[in-house]
Amino acid sequence: MPANAPRRKPGRRGRLPFWTALLWLSPALVLIAGVVAYPVVELVKASLGTYSITGLRTGSAGLGNFAKVLHHPDLGTVLRNTAEWVVLVVAITIVLSLGLAQFLSKQFFGRRVVRWAIIVPWAASLVITARLFTLLFDFYHGLIDRVLVALHVLPHPVDFLGDDHWTMPSMIVVGVFVSLPFTCYVLLAGLAAIPDDVYEAARIDGARPWQLYRQVTLPLLRPALLVASVLNIIYVFNSFPIVYTLNDRNPGFRHDTSITFMYKLAFKSAEHSVGMSAAAGVFNVLGILVVVLAYLKLVSWREAVR
Amino acid sequence: MALKRTALLGGAMAALVGLAGCGGGTGSSSSGGNGGNGGKQVSSIKLVAAEYSADHTKAFWDQFAKTYKQKYGIDLNVQIISWDDIAQQSTTMVQNNNAPDILNINYYSSYAKDNLLYSADDVLPSSVQSDLLDSFKISGTFNDKLYGFPDLSSARALFYNKTLFQRAGISAPPTNWNDFEADAKKITALGGGVVGYAEPLGPEEAQAEFSIWTFNNGGTWQDDSGHWTINSDRNVQTLQFLKKLAVTDKVTQNNPGKTNRTDGAFPLFENNKAGMIVGFGPLSAQLDKDKKVNYGIAPMPYQNVSGPQTYGVTDYLDAFKKPGNQQAVKDFYELYYQPDQVNTWIKSEGFLPVTKSGLQVFSSDAALKVYIDTLPNIHLTPNQDPTWDKVLLAVQQQIGAAVAPNGDPKKVLDTLQQTAQAGG
Repeated sequence: MPANAPRRKPGRRGRLPFWTALLWLSPALVLIAGVVAYPVVELVKASLGTYSITGLRTGSAGLGNFAKVLHHPDLGTVLRNTAEWVVLVVAITIVLSLGLAQFLSKQFFGRRVVRWAIIVPWAASLVITARLFTLLFDFYHGLIDRVLVALHVLPHPVDFLGDDHWTMPSMIVVGVFVSLPFTCYVLLAGLAAIPDDVYEAARIDGARPWQLYRQVTLPLLRPALLVASVLNIIYVFNSFPIVYTLNDRNPGFRHDTSITFMYKLAFKSAEHSVGMSAAAGVFNVLGILVVVLAYLKLVSWREAVR
Repeated sequence: MALKRTALLGGAMAALVGLAGCGGGTGSSSSGGNGGNGGKQVSSIKLVAAEYSADHTKAFWDQFAKTYKQKYGIDLNVQIISWDDIAQQSTTMVQNNNAPDILNINYYSSYAKDNLLYSADDVLPSSVQSDLLDSFKISGTFNDKLYGFPDLSSARALFYNKTLFQRAGISAPPTNWNDFEADAKKITALGGGVVGYAEPLGPEEAQAEFSIWTFNNGGTWQDDSGHWTINSDRNVQTLQFLKKLAVTDKVTQNNPGKTNRTDGAFPLFENNKAGMIVGFGPLSAQLDKDKKVNYGIAPMPYQNVSGPQTYGVTDYLDAFKKPGNQQAVKDFYELYYQPDQVNTWIKSEGFLPVTKSGLQVFSSDAALKVYIDTLPNIHLTPNQDPTWDKVLLAVQQQIGAAVAPNGDPKKVLDTLQQTAQAGG
């Protein structure tokens, strides 16, 4: 170390002077201030104001916006939808990705093509993907109904996006579809990081394939699983385009998650209130923070990433 | 491993706070100046305009900006925004104290109420004021002053599929509601996935679909003195009729309360799958381009009123008060309402005029006759009431629920009436 910093006085080994350190850190600090701190300050400021429908701030609201959000008649529905959406999309994605990643980690003819194919949904814009699915799900012209009816899976066509029983499941299908690539590749990287000699040792000890998977692969995959599920929880929770696009034909808040709820409060519903929407935004940030922390605690993440 | 832990937590924090930025935007204290003539004159103004069509809107405004610059020596910066985003973006602009000088959008009275706009006395040449059609003048007047300067208009009428009518043995389009219902049943009975009537009551433009039906039943949103009449008997009867078509008669497409116009109802009519639909100019343009449908346009069927009523839509060019921009804004309107400007544009977009002089120009067009005849008596939504800007959103988000199998038209309209009376 001292060799790399010849000018530094002896006795202050390994510590830069405060101002020098600040200088080196400043780009990161400016970025954090601009991208993280500033929006949060503005969000909180907006949540404390009263706004006209035009967007003009007309005064202070105190905590009124927060109270209005908490008393919103559809809040319960929205929270239930959010929980359903996040839990099911993340859980199904992880389970499917485990299988897919396992499959893709094997050598087989055309593996490269399959790996590329799985990246595609990731590369496409979410809005375009969601739009595409509205066409596929369409009651009159959609391919999905046509195929399922032809295969006798369904006795008659289903209005996937208009029938209240089917709207959420349809959205979840699309949510899983777009979450798979990322998750799959995180797990694939995790699998590649497991050394072969561990398997060899286990096999010599007489482990059967299923035992091998349960007792060697899964525990060693834990860090990757943790990263995949935490990031997925955040992405899926914050996913706006899918829920908004697939649900845009439905009136009210029946199938909204907290993110689209927030957007509709600001621009689409009769509330049309920037302040209320900002208050909902504050709740969203706090909510996801609590969920992530609780999840990390639950899986005792300190051990997992050790 | 503290480092890994911090990195994971840091990444998580950054990802979720990213959302915070999208949520609220910023909150500036006030917007717009007091305007007026005082101080320095601006050398450029900004127009934010809605995109009516990808082909014509930008082309028109670019050419307009060039002419404007030549004539007045002031730069006109044009920003075109899609209809999906313009309400959101203009709200954010005002919120950030960054309003344009002129905004082309479908409402104005909330801005006028917030004292952000010039009135006609400030910026609209008197020759233009007297040329505007009366119905648009009324809908553009807030607190006895004209603030909503209409840019163009459209009117709706009943489109019917002549081929399907012939196959069902119907000789002429229906003129009253009983015939309408009977014809819709006959067309639905043709089978093959054909529906009698495509009924879009989804959030996109539910107010339009409901308006045209209830106007043709003697219903209104407000009475003449500006009191809300949303749950009037006529309106309830109208919504019950629309529910009956969907639920009892089953002559509409599936889930009409969850069908939007452009991506739900129009495609049915464009593919010969719907016998009737309420349409307007741009739909004709599309149908004429595709040449797949043999269609006719007729006045709406009506009951309880003396003749067919037309529902019209107009959008506005709102003039924002900003220091030193009054003369430049005034010049803008002087040029916009020149017949060769406004009429050329309206024609290219397939809409209808808003001026008496424009009406004369367009009346020679046979294809537009069905609309033009009704234009002077057109019914509009109560745009002059700032409360409407919120009621409109409530209508879009709620009225569709009334035509579901378990929907309750009376209850939905009662709720909307309460919303309106509470000020939105």
